[in-house]
This record gives sequence, C-alpha cells and structure tokens, in this order.
Amino acid sequence: MLTYREVLSTLEMLKNEHLDVRTVTLGISLFDCASREPVEFIDAMSAKIESCARNLVKVCDEVAVRYGIPIVNKRIAVSPIAVAACPCGPDRMVEVARAMDRAAQNVGVDFIGGFSALIEKGFTRGDYALVEAIPEALAVTEHVCSSVNVASTRAGINMDAVYLMGKTIKKAAALTGERDGVGCAKLCVFANIPQDVPFMAGAYLGVGEPDLVINVGVSGPGVVKKAIDRAREANPGLDLGQLSEIIKRTAFKVTKVGELIGRRVASELDVPFGVVDLSLAPTPNVGDSVGEIFQSLGLGSIGVPGSTAALALLNDAVKKGGAFASSYVGGLSGAFIPVSEDLNIARAAERGFLSIEKLEAMTSVCSVGLDMIALAGDTSAETLAAIIADEMAIGVINRKTTAARLIPVPGKRAGDKASFGGLLGGATIMAAPGAGSSEFVRLGGRIPAPTQSLTN
Amino acid sequence: MRKIIVSVLGHDRPGIIATVADVLFRSGCNIEDVSQTLLQTEFAGIFIASCPESLEQDELLDRLRAKLDPMGLSALLREMEETGIWEPPPVEPFVITTLGPDRLGLVAGVTELLARFGVNISNLKAVFRGGDDPNANTMIYEVDIPITVDQRLFREALRERGTELGIDISLQHREIFEAIHRV
Repeated sequence: MLTYREVLSTLEMLKNEHLDVRTVTLGISLFDCASREPVEFIDAMSAKIESCARNLVKVCDEVAVRYGIPIVNKRIAVSPIAVAACPCGPDRMVEVARAMDRAAQNVGVDFIGGFSALIEKGFTRGDYALVEAIPEALAVTEHVCSSVNVASTRAGINMDAVYLMGKTIKKAAALTGERDGVGCAKLCVFANIPQDVPFMAGAYLGVGEPDLVINVGVSGPGVVKKAIDRAREANPGLDLGQLSEIIKRTAFKVTKVGELIGRRVASELDVPFGVVDLSLAPTPNVGDSVGEIFQSLGLGSIGVPGSTAALALLNDAVKKGGAFASSYVGGLSGAFIPVSEDLNIARAAERGFLSIEKLEAMTSVCSVGLDMIALAGDTSAETLAAIIADEMAIGVINRKTTAARLIPVPGKRAGDKASFGGLLGGATIMAAPGAGSSEFVRLGGRIPAPTQSLTN
Repeated sequence: MRKIIVSVLGHDRPGIIATVADVLFRSGCNIEDVSQTLLQTEFAGIFIASCPESLEQDELLDRLRAKLDPMGLSALLREMEETGIWEPPPVEPFVITTLGPDRLGLVAGVTELLARFGVNISNLKAVFRGGDDPNANTMIYEVDIPITVDQRLFREALRERGTELGIDISLQHREIFEAIHRV
C-alpha cells in the first residue's frame, strides 16, 4: 500500500517539475557491416540501422504513455564511422553521413551520433578521411552528429588533431554560415570520451560495447531546483551540507525512474540495457535550467564568484544519489552547462556574469566542458585550437571527460546574437580571448600523458 | 477446508478485534486474514477464518452478535466460495490520483469509468474536507488495469471525465512510486 505522502510528492515531481527521460539512445554496432567497398558498407549500414531501430520510437512512445513519463528524445549511436568505414575516402565519408541521415529520418529519431573518430594518439586513413568530411557532412545532413576524441589521460593530447579540429570547426561554420554556423553545434571535440554516452553531440557506440544496447539519459534540473527551493522555504536555516543531501536524494529518485523506463524499453526491444547517464541536461525552457539551480543555492547568477564551488557540490551530489540508485551508471554523468541550450546560462553570459575563462574554470569540476559557446566569426583556427587544447588539458590531467563545442558564428562579433533553433537554443556571442596562441598551436606533436602518481 | 468471512461495522472503541478474535478462537476457527480500517469515527473489519465442518453458521453468528450487539456493532457472516465468481485477467498496477474541489458524484463519476474499462480497484483512499484547497480533496486509487486496455483511450477518457467533474486526474504506473520511494 502506498502512503498518501508518497503519492502526492511523486505527483508533484511528475506534474510540476519537468521530470522526464531526456533521451533513450539505441547503440548499434556497425562492425559487421565493414567492407572494402564503400557502397557495400553503406547498404549494409542502412539496412542494419533501419531494421534494428524500426520499433525504437514506437516502443518509447508506448512506454512513455504507459508510465506517464515523457521520453523527450529517441536517438541512435553507431560505431565510430572512422573505424567501421575505414577504407572510405572523404567523399565516400560524406555519402556515409547522408545514408545515416536518411536512416535516422526513416526510423523517426531526432539525432544519430557516431560520425566519429578516435585520434588521441594518431590517425588512420579512415580518421583523416572522416575529419576532412565533417564540415560537408554536417552541412548536408540534419540529424547526424559528430564527435572526435583528441586526447586521453593515457595517451596525452594529440596537438596535431587539436589543430586539425580548429580548422575543421572553422570550415563547418563557414559551410553553415547562413544558419549561424549550426554545423558546429553538432560537433564535439573530446578528451577521455566515454564509450556509452547517450547524449548528443557526443553519442557513439564504443568498440567494447555489445552489438545493440539501450543507454538512457535522465533529466532533472527542474526537479533538483524545485527540491532545493522547497527545502529552503520550509527551513531557511539549511546549510550547504544539508542542501547537498537534498540534491542527492532527488538525483536518486530521478535515476530510479530513468532506469525503470530504460529497462522497460530495452526489454520490449529485446536489447540489453547498458547504462544510465546521470547528467542534469537543461533545455532552453524556463524551469528546466541548470543555471537556475545556482540561484536557488544563493548565488546572484551562474558565473559570479562561488559558482565553481556550487557546481562542484551539485555535480558530486548528483553522482552520489545516482550511483546509489543504479549499479550501471555511465556516459558523462554530471551537470551540463551548455551556454545556448540553457536560457538562464545564456542570459548570464549576455549580462556579462559568465566569461569563457569562468566557464573553463567550472568545467574542471563538471562533466562536460566548453559547451555550445558562440564566438566571433573571425576567431582563428589557431585560437579555437588553443581553447580546445586548454579544455583537453583539464580533462587529461584530472582523469575526467571534457569536451569543447565551439561555434565561431560567421559574420558576427562579440555581443551579437546567434540562434541555432530548437533544443540548441541561442546565445550572445562571447568575447574570445586575444590572439597570440598561433605559434604554440603550430608546434604540433603530442603532449605526453601525465604521470599517474605525484598527484597535486 | 471450509472458510468463513466475518465483517464487523460500527463506532470505533478499544476491544473490537479482541472480542471477535475471542469468539472465533473459542469456536475452533483459525484466522487466516484480517484487515481493519477507520473512517472518521467508524470502524470496519473483515476476517477470513478456516473453521470446523461441524460448526453451524447460525450458531457462530449468534455467538458473535451476543458479544457485539451490546457494543453497538453489526456483524455479518457468510461462507467463502471456493471458486471465484470473477477471475482477474492479466493486469498491470497503476495509481490514479485526483485533486480538486469537492462536489457531489466524484467517486461515482470516476468509478463508473473504471468499471466500464474493467479496471479493478485494489485500494482506495479518498478524503473530502470541502473547500477549494485541492490537497484537502483527494482520491488515491490503486488499480489493476487489464493489459488489453488501450492506454491512450483510457487516459483520454480519464482526462475528459476529470474535466466534466472539475478535478485534476492523473494516472501513473505503480512502479514509478515504488522506484522513487522504496530502497
């Protein structure tokens, strides 16, 4: 028998606090589609995606109705294309992206990730071809997302890859210039990329993963914020330790629901369940913002002094609650601070509370990195590469995932507005740090992996 | 084994369960299940007991009434059927919650719809204290919905009924509540 209090408090989370499942992502391995003939690969890939994901959206919708909890996004992550389609040249790689796009459209998912390469230690022929194809691939497709891992704690930072990604981002922006460089919003550069991220643009299916797998991304910034607000209203004397406990309990509940839904979808699709990604992922809606949580914790805005400490508290409490709720936790698991995708963070940037330097500091304690940051169109490839290198260094040294999703908006300057549409949101263009990084970036080579002892 | 059902109703006071249990014990009956509830000042209890084949139903009822009548309580006794008149179909457990101002016909309005869809109520707690505070006027139904019921149609029908009755009705899978509140 359920208690009155249990029923009403659950109802509050569901109805008024935007509790949903942010994404159910079906991982599909493409290694059994590999062929020296690109056309054969493309045919096999399209057939496999369309047959394996045929019922994904239908099953997700049915489970969502049955449980009364929305599953906001249904997505697909495939094996890194640079590996699976290694024999392809750049033109063929664009064809692969087009075929992925068609397959995604045919099965009704909103994004397909995995147009990806892992180049932290060096390049294969397929890696070069894929990276060269990225700008055009992202310009001619709607649903394809790309991620490139250029650094890891075990390999160090491949600075040749970092520079190449700086140039690639510039090209991707130029090819989608009429839409404020939206191609770059679908491209993420990583250090220590996890193999099972369900969130875009970083989702791909790692080489150690099964043939098919369901990974789930939970949401919950709204739920966490309301829980903090309610607790502080009831007891204004709560300190940060007690508020951390409240966040932890809330993350527990959110994760339990995410896993319940994910397992049900996996069981109905007869696919193994992989992980729950515990990230707090915002959307550009009021009440669904990570930035608002900072205000609930007593800061004037995200970005003011104290923000890094607040983010550290938030991220840690979410992980503790989530790890208790589910034994299979993976992906990025932390708080996202994507500037354009979070209304409150975008406003903080617009009002000058949040600079790229402060964001970089905050990424040393949160899970993702410099995410959805709009920069001036004339930011050079070298400056972009240097920003990426800094972000990668934070990940490599701290043995954590970091990423950069930078958008140099063609024809626009600091203070102008950029709009990317839908969940990608919009943002005011941030002032990029001054030039002066070119010589360093052009030195190239690989920054060695850090020592794993003597940690300080 | 022969089984009987005893139900007792009346104004609450200490000693009701003790009295019934004592009569059953002295008559050689073994209590298998018992449940009681209190609504405002009123007690209701239901007992299932196995009893000797030789025990006359009327005789047991007389013994119960002899003790319960002076306490102002009513008793009802009947034989339990071995086979069910209604066999439940395969079902899934859900929770229906309603919030909204009190008015005549709320329980009737909701339960008519549940009955029409073949939805069985396994537990119901409803409180109506009047006024406009939605939290003072709630119904929480734990229900079993046959898996053959079209969820979309049922949800839509519930929503429409909620609008007609001026209350907010939600339907959630019971597993959600258990996932969130039980470790």
